[in-house]
Amino acid sequence: MTQREAVEWIAELFEVSPQELTPDTPRDEIPAWDSLGTLTLMASLDSDFDIVLSDEEVQTIKSVGDILEVMRRNGRLT
Amino acid sequence: MCSSDLCTVAAQRILDRLAWKPGSIDALIMVTQTPDYFLPSTACVVHHRLGLADHCAAFDVGLGCSGYPYGIWLAAMMLQGGGVRRALVLHGETPTRFSDKGDRSVSLLFGDAGSATALESTDPRGAMDWHYALHTDGSGYSSMIIESGGFRDRFGTDPRKHCVSMNGALIFNFTIKRVPALIDETLAGAGVTCSDVDYFIFHQSNQFIMKHLCAKQLLPLEKVPIILKEFGNTGGASIPLTLTQGNLIRPEDRALRLMLLGYGVGLSWGSALVSLDREAILESVELDNTKQVSA
Repeated sequence: MTQREAVEWIAELFEVSPQELTPDTPRDEIPAWDSLGTLTLMASLDSDFDIVLSDEEVQTIKSVGDILEVMRRNGRLT
Repeated sequence: MCSSDLCTVAAQRILDRLAWKPGSIDALIMVTQTPDYFLPSTACVVHHRLGLADHCAAFDVGLGCSGYPYGIWLAAMMLQGGGVRRALVLHGETPTRFSDKGDRSVSLLFGDAGSATALESTDPRGAMDWHYALHTDGSGYSSMIIESGGFRDRFGTDPRKHCVSMNGALIFNFTIKRVPALIDETLAGAGVTCSDVDYFIFHQSNQFIMKHLCAKQLLPLEKVPIILKEFGNTGGASIPLTLTQGNLIRPEDRALRLMLLGYGVGLSWGSALVSLDREAILESVELDNTKQVSA
């Protein structure tokens, strides 16, 4: 998956336009990324990419770029 | 109502149905993380109320969401070990009483329930096809915790610390990491596949988690009863509650094969793969939670 496709995946997850997101977009600028949004993100990473976060990652993911980094570390970004 | 109130009613009911005399009970295992008192153990309170004999071993097991498989395992081991012919496993939880009504992450989740499970050793070979998997990861002890009230902070003045605090994201992460592996381990240990199991009885944690686990493990939804809508999360007692309230279809010609799955506070998780024959009683009663029961 390319980074652009990954951003589109994140945008769909949080029901925003991909144009609104950059790697620097912080969590608190994405309305749907509340506590339930975090669970949705974790479940979707697991379902769609077989990625289960570490507890540290759960606590530290704070931006779109952090999600991309997790996907990169798990070999899901080309 | 307290855990002992709920469990005493359940236990009395099953003793009546089975026509077991109180003096015939050799062991009472009370699984709870919401005891009536710090001391004595809630098992002793229930022992008194049921009029059990003084030869009966009675003790508490301090586990919550994972406690039911642990209780069943412990009772089965006692029965197989000899010296104990009849055992009661009681699991009672009153989480509505430790939730902060102002904390929306927990206040809407919980319900209270108490259960009684009677086990009898009739054929020493009979329990051999039951399988268990029991696990602990104490590094996550603070993911769900009541910080004050215990002897580490006996009289802490922050009332919120006398209520449960839960890191939902960490609990969810623990669940999606551990429960699928638990299911696989239990199936492999028993040498069976998903299709050999009639129902997967999950601790009723929350619907989002349970549906995710079903999808991940390719479990048909009709094999996973969910009763959250009616009762909320009743802690580990949700497993026996689901046995009675999950509309399980009982086969006419064979035992019902169930995988019981508990997971949560501790962090602790465990499973029991059990068979219930036609005679096994599965019923429940609703109590008025606004009424106090005298000790």
